[in-house]
Amino acid sequence: MPYVVRRPDRNLWEQSYVPETVRGLGVTLRHFFRNVFGRRDTVTLLYPEQRRPYPPRFRGLHRLTQRDDGAPRCTACLCCQTACPAECIHIVAGEYPPEHPLAHVEKYPVEFWIDELRCVSCGLCVEACPCDAIRMDTGLHPRPVEARPHLIYERNLLLSISDTAGNVHTANPRKK
Amino acid sequence: MNAFFVWMTVAKIVAFVLFILTGGALMVWVERRLSAMMQDRVGPHRANLGRFRLWGLIHILADGLKMMVKEDFIPRRADRLLHALAPILAFFPVVVTFAVVPFGPTLDFAHLGAVNHEGPLFSGPWATTLQVATIDVGLLFVLAIAGTGVVGAVLAGAASDNRFSLLGSLRAASQMISYEVTLGASLVGCILVFGTLRIEQMVLWQHQHVWGILVQPLAFLLFLVAGIAESKRVPFDLPEGESEIVAGYFLEYSGMKFAMFFLGELMEIVVLAILLTVFFLGGWDVPFLFADGLHVDLPFLDTWVWNWPHGVVVLVQLLGFTVKVGAMVFLQMALRWTLPRFRYDQLMDLGWKVLLPLSLGNIAVTAVVLAALR
Amino acid sequence: MEEYREEELVLPADPMVLNMGPSHPAMHGTVRCVLRLDGEQVVDCDVQIGYLHRGFEKECEAGTWTQVFPYTDRLNYASPLLNNIGYALAVEKLLGITVPPRCQYLRVILGEVARICDHCVCNAAMAMELGAFTVFLYLVKAREWLFELLEEVTGARVTHSFCRIGGLRHDLPEGFDERLRAALQKTLAAVEDSEKLLLRNRVFMDRTMDVGAISPERALAYGWTGPCLRSTGVAYDVRKIHPYLVYDQFDFDIPVGSRGDNYDRFVVRLEEIRQSARIIDQALRRLPDGPIAVPDDLGVILPDKLQTYTTIERTIQHFKIVTEGIQVPAGEVYSYTEAANGELGFYIVSTGGGRPHKCRVRPPCFANLQALPELVRGRLLPDIIPTFGSINMIGGECDR
Repeated sequence: MPYVVRRPDRNLWEQSYVPETVRGLGVTLRHFFRNVFGRRDTVTLLYPEQRRPYPPRFRGLHRLTQRDDGAPRCTACLCCQTACPAECIHIVAGEYPPEHPLAHVEKYPVEFWIDELRCVSCGLCVEACPCDAIRMDTGLHPRPVEARPHLIYERNLLLSISDTAGNVHTANPRKK
Repeated sequence: MNAFFVWMTVAKIVAFVLFILTGGALMVWVERRLSAMMQDRVGPHRANLGRFRLWGLIHILADGLKMMVKEDFIPRRADRLLHALAPILAFFPVVVTFAVVPFGPTLDFAHLGAVNHEGPLFSGPWATTLQVATIDVGLLFVLAIAGTGVVGAVLAGAASDNRFSLLGSLRAASQMISYEVTLGASLVGCILVFGTLRIEQMVLWQHQHVWGILVQPLAFLLFLVAGIAESKRVPFDLPEGESEIVAGYFLEYSGMKFAMFFLGELMEIVVLAILLTVFFLGGWDVPFLFADGLHVDLPFLDTWVWNWPHGVVVLVQLLGFTVKVGAMVFLQMALRWTLPRFRYDQLMDLGWKVLLPLSLGNIAVTAVVLAALR
Repeated sequence: MEEYREEELVLPADPMVLNMGPSHPAMHGTVRCVLRLDGEQVVDCDVQIGYLHRGFEKECEAGTWTQVFPYTDRLNYASPLLNNIGYALAVEKLLGITVPPRCQYLRVILGEVARICDHCVCNAAMAMELGAFTVFLYLVKAREWLFELLEEVTGARVTHSFCRIGGLRHDLPEGFDERLRAALQKTLAAVEDSEKLLLRNRVFMDRTMDVGAISPERALAYGWTGPCLRSTGVAYDVRKIHPYLVYDQFDFDIPVGSRGDNYDRFVVRLEEIRQSARIIDQALRRLPDGPIAVPDDLGVILPDKLQTYTTIERTIQHFKIVTEGIQVPAGEVYSYTEAANGELGFYIVSTGGGRPHKCRVRPPCFANLQALPELVRGRLLPDIIPTFGSINMIGGECDR
């Protein structure tokens, strides 16, 4: 049901300024005295000494997951590159040499670039990956750099980043 | 006019100027930390000298250093002379007002340890008033000097060649001139009651009788409001009106020139607090403390007297003065962080249609009551 | 003595032209008001928008239906989830699918949290520009508690990209409802503090009452919606009049104003925070179990991850959705929801296939903002600030 919001009357209480000012002072001073003498209600985090733990779902820097032998889990299917709305992923796919057990089964990323400056941290790449090769669960921000190329992360750097628990392996059951 | 008098005057000037300057700088810290605590923040506390942070007090030094090394920007089409003159004109009156304010009673260096039976104000070869200048028309001097504060603000805005600044200086001119009327008129009641224009005599009256706020409560309120309006702070900060005219009349100032406006405004808080203390809160008067020591009127018994040495009495009175000034500063700060800002026409309405009639009415009532009592 | 004609004695008093913005403390969202001032009186006000134009609608045509989500986050950046939901509902309408009940409830809960955030920010900014800085910090503090919760659910503070066509990205984390209830309680306490500081304070009342007032007829003529329209007394709320999701199952009221001035807009927003809290409370209590997305055999939602990793059928389906996009049948649809600022409409056209042919947004604050010149003309310069603040123009949404 619609109801009309209250508009205070304008009688002497309001028109004389003083009572309402005193009431306002009551609010600010209550906060003041509680913060100075009582238990502190200050919400400021003293970064960098204090840090708020990021929630597990926090979308941070990308990482590439590893197989058991340390090779990238990525099969260079280009799903993430396709799904990325910011077009910040660039993959060059390569064939395994013929003697490799995975030859003619999968490809692998010869190059895997992510431009973290263009990334909008939407997480669509993680969702688009059909083999759990790319993740954003690192809990890290892109660190400040002095030149733009420093934030274009390449394959081995992405592979070396772990999640918050230090895990670098993929959760994909087809690890081999 | 002996050498002692001259040297004492010089010493007092130096001491007071240092007191105001550090007080003004301290206000920066007080303002920041106080508002932070009211708003559930921490406030600045990072600046440090090695391991010492001193609750953020060192930010004052950092700020001062920053102001000094900043570029002194002058707009291309600004009037360079007036642009440079304006901050000085805005800063000067604030400092000068202190000259006539009594910080304490007379101090006699010859009898620091003895009990003083002469009363708080006396003269002697080694006695000096804790006041730079004891002039006959102290109160008028305060009002006159406060009146010149507007010049700096107007010149700053007019010389900056910026339309926001111009609006700011127009607002400053009308606001400060309007509220000066109330500022003066609200004190007339005090003059009637105290019967003098000498500020040290006004304090003495309050010392001997009661504090001004008890005989002139309305004048206290009017003077407080008009004083905040004179110092151009929220809720009367229209001349700078951050969100409306960006920074108003000092929009085009940077570096030390900006610092002079900034410090001047913060020192005005101290000035207003001191004036409120002197006119309404008994100045250096501490309840039950007289020149020769504590006097407590016990019910059904005689007055209980505890004699203190002269030096201790003056020290406690100076301390009492400082505490009162601190409380008034706190009140102003708390108001500043509680209230929103007036609009220009509402400000004028308040000044001319509410405060001025009230202060005139206060004069009339005071005069009638005094005449009836006589 | 020289003779003067009367007209020579009149000083020239042409209006002064003053550029307020695009870089001005009160013109948040980057907008420019070219003012013609007579003293402090506003003779004319020309609002110039477009400083935040990114080409949202054109960009949408370049990507798949799913890739639009990150763009919608940046429409009304004070309440991104509501845009997410609005867009998802539009595409779902064209697809002719309805999301499962749990998903609908989650969308309602998270959307109302976003609405509270938006109203907090709007009122906070308005109060700050009136000089009440303390109120600003109280309300923004409250928004921060809610943003932390949204981050916990979605993975990002502002750019959530959380909705998906046909569902949501994640379910709620463990123990979320207690944390949300606690945060809401603290938020309502902060709202109460700011009400005590402002609502009956004469300085605030003088600044806002009967300033920027508009009649319901004029407001409707301008196409106003949302809290701004409701402040004039028109009880139009899409959630009530044309219920979507499960809004018809909740018990909540529509606060309306009586004068349509800044005070009413401020109070209506504060009241809506309370109403939103009521909705959230009911939704949390009735939250059903079940899936958070439509079944994956519809070809709308990405199939289950574990099956994608292990079975070839699901892998192929996954690839088809990612590379070709969701196949939306040809047609056009206009879908509208109640965003924080008013009616947020998405008019989308599909020619079949994986990409939008056209995605037109009806931003609520664009319609609201066009009344600004009328609201401030003839008033004083300082009146622009609360009026502009209570209209709550969000550059990202208005300029797209």
